[in-house]
Amino acid sequence: MRKIYLTLILLFAISFAAEAQRAKSVILIYLDGGPAQTDTFDPKPQAGRNYHGNYKGVAKTNVEGIEIGEKLPLLATMADKYTLIRSMTHGSNAHETGHYAMITGDTSKGAVVYPSFGAVISYMLRDKYKGILPRYISVTSANSRFNEGGFLGNEYKSFDTGGRPESKMYEVDGVVNRFVNRERMDSRMAMLAEFEKGQMDKQLIDSLRGVNMEFIWGESRELFNLANEPDSVRTRYGKSRLGQSCLVARKLVEAGVPFVNVRTTGWDTHKKHFQKMNSMLTNLDKALSALLADLDKRGLLDSTIVLCGGEFGRTPKVLWEAPWNGGRAHYGKTFSYLVAGGGFHGGKVVGKTDKTGENVVERPVRPCDLIGTVYLLMGIDPYGTLPHVSEGDLPILPSLIKNDQSGGLLYEIIDIKKPDYEKK
Amino acid sequence: MKKCLIILACIIAPIVQAVASEQCRDEVFLRRAYLTVTGALPSPQESAKFLDDNRPDKREKLINRLLNRELALQYTLMHWGDILRIKSEFPSNLWPNGVQAYNRWIYEKLMNNVPYDQMVRELLLSTGSNFRDPAANFYRGFQERSPENFYANINLLFLGNRNCADNGYLCFSQIKFKSTKEWKEEIIYIDYRKELPWQQIKLADGTILQPDYNTDWREAYVNWLTSPENRRFAEVMVNRMWFWVFGRGIVHEPDDWREDNQPSDPALLKELTDYFIKSKYNMKALMKKILMSEQFNSKMAPEGTYQPQRLPAEVIVDAIASSTGRWNKYSSRVPEPFTFYPPQTRATHLGDATVSSTELELFGKVSRDVSLESQRSNALTSRQLLYLMNSSALEQRIRKSPALKKICEQYTTVEQVADAITLRVLSRRATPQEVELYNKHKADNSLSMNELAYDIMWIQINSNEFLYNH
Repeated sequence: MRKIYLTLILLFAISFAAEAQRAKSVILIYLDGGPAQTDTFDPKPQAGRNYHGNYKGVAKTNVEGIEIGEKLPLLATMADKYTLIRSMTHGSNAHETGHYAMITGDTSKGAVVYPSFGAVISYMLRDKYKGILPRYISVTSANSRFNEGGFLGNEYKSFDTGGRPESKMYEVDGVVNRFVNRERMDSRMAMLAEFEKGQMDKQLIDSLRGVNMEFIWGESRELFNLANEPDSVRTRYGKSRLGQSCLVARKLVEAGVPFVNVRTTGWDTHKKHFQKMNSMLTNLDKALSALLADLDKRGLLDSTIVLCGGEFGRTPKVLWEAPWNGGRAHYGKTFSYLVAGGGFHGGKVVGKTDKTGENVVERPVRPCDLIGTVYLLMGIDPYGTLPHVSEGDLPILPSLIKNDQSGGLLYEIIDIKKPDYEKK
Repeated sequence: MKKCLIILACIIAPIVQAVASEQCRDEVFLRRAYLTVTGALPSPQESAKFLDDNRPDKREKLINRLLNRELALQYTLMHWGDILRIKSEFPSNLWPNGVQAYNRWIYEKLMNNVPYDQMVRELLLSTGSNFRDPAANFYRGFQERSPENFYANINLLFLGNRNCADNGYLCFSQIKFKSTKEWKEEIIYIDYRKELPWQQIKLADGTILQPDYNTDWREAYVNWLTSPENRRFAEVMVNRMWFWVFGRGIVHEPDDWREDNQPSDPALLKELTDYFIKSKYNMKALMKKILMSEQFNSKMAPEGTYQPQRLPAEVIVDAIASSTGRWNKYSSRVPEPFTFYPPQTRATHLGDATVSSTELELFGKVSRDVSLESQRSNALTSRQLLYLMNSSALEQRIRKSPALKKICEQYTTVEQVADAITLRVLSRRATPQEVELYNKHKADNSLSMNELAYDIMWIQINSNEFLYNH
């Protein structure tokens, strides 16, 4: 009897989540290396020069009471569009463990390697999504510090575009090849068909090649062609790698791709921190503000989740001493994430850090809480399971059911109500 | 009735024999042997020499030669590295120094052809620093360092058992770790003061282990594991090697032995296991026996029994490199300090799953997260073909190929050029029909010899003849 009751609750919860689902896509702007939270989304102008370093000021946003880093003036004009999570924490100061935690949501230190949340979303939508573009795309490459497909396998890893979107010609691997035009390709394919006659069974290889010819020469080719975008648009996003990658992400989401990972490197600023941050923050400010505004204008922000953050934060205290000479080190105890769209509220702040930004004082948010909420908005049960080849069904987020690894899903910034069974 | 059967047998036997002894052609055997034993294509010179050799025992001579080559040792080391999860970073976190030492240790065991039982013994009884006593990395490479987890991995690796339910893990409960002042160095040691387990240690087959106080309890387990009476220990390795050669185990998956997963050919498994135990666990002899078998010399299915296999990621990437003569440069910026490999390093020799490349990932390089053979996926996917069909990366390799340049300088006719390219890429000579095809393609598209050479190499690298071991 009890079992039936539980099943009913579960069914109700799932159908409820499906109904409330607004998000169709996710764009992850991943600041690889670990961005300084105190210079971006959680400024501490009162903490003194040993903390705020060269950035004494702040940018007041269009939402009363919310301030962000002084190098982000464009983002400051649109704080109503996003929410800042200032109490992210996982405690690890090592890149590989930090990446794994923030990209999989798993901090359980178990024996299995979990897939990235992009791979999980790709897996969950494998039957539903019908487009010719891959379900999970990285612009321009995914993080390679752990096996991103995890136990789901290679099939669910991201399609890395490669190439340089900021250059004159964005050569997407396997799609755009400056040496070969359609005519040459056709003649080669004809010769190949002749060459392979009478060889091994060709059914599989021929059908895969057919799909590819459509992918290479069909609509997707135009999609990756940034030269068609007005220069004013390209300039608004910024001509940096990050800026143009965000433009690509917008176009991909518009075409229906469920998960786009824009990974940008260089945030591991142990030395020359402020010099590097000056230009990197300007690039980020342009790219992210243009992306949010563009998605909003096109009516896509409601159905597109945008996340921005890295594998951890950086020490709120500046290391003035040699050899760092004004750098910031790894810091997993507190850091920030920006979330927007797809059902996330705007104009809010979640959690709080202390005066120097070194400790979380309110509402710790753990990796699984953020990723679990993304699942929820995408219509995926965060308490569901994933199949493992030898271990059977495993929880999709093992940490979510452990008190010391979860601070609870982010119900305070979404419209989905916390189900009764979750209130302990 | 009995007579009838005998007569019938007399008629059938020669037919069966004729079918079974239907051997693959020399050029097929050459490529198959090279790819299986060394993970590399034969050089054009080696191919030509073998194809022109008329001695009757040239296949055996080839196998003997190949088994003793450095390339073969390195390729076998890669198989071991996959299942022992040798990797600098997450989740094994062995770190580059540990990876290097561990690889070297296994390499030396293989080079000296140390018997399998002895190698496993040394591995499982290891203690000491992960940098100074390389085998100790066996115990270091776990996220969850518990006796249960060590034991589950040992069961999987050496008994093919995915679900061990007995309490043999107690033998591994004295293992302790302590760090040193050296960055990422740890000492693995045995805590002799630990009290004997109050439970009886009883293994799944009913064996009761009774270790003594003040000894390393692992020894009791390892003695049982590696004894010749424990046939499963030998069977699993025999079957694993069969899997390495054919891509399919006699028991399949090779690490999933259970009651309801029986060997497809019990007699074959028995014959090979008897041979392996009798040879005192001689791994090289076992490999040779498999390579000289009817199955390995057979034609490809359906005419024969050999099932084609898509080449492993590292092998494809290396084969493209050796065909074009343009090699990848491998390095890793994680973890620090950075790792740089010498130019012309083969992907099969990287030894560290943390070091990778877009191509290797694309074709399914093993990430070494778990000890399952099935983590290597040799399935052909549309993305892989996308790379082969239309990537600038491959196109540039072909266009800038020093090998093609030389061929085009050296030869003047389409036939000669085609022959030289085919020997490089497919380890055989071009057929007259193919030469005719190339001539036609050249004329139809008014191509220069260079441009024709690019197209020939392109179709050959894209062909399933190249992508598969057949």
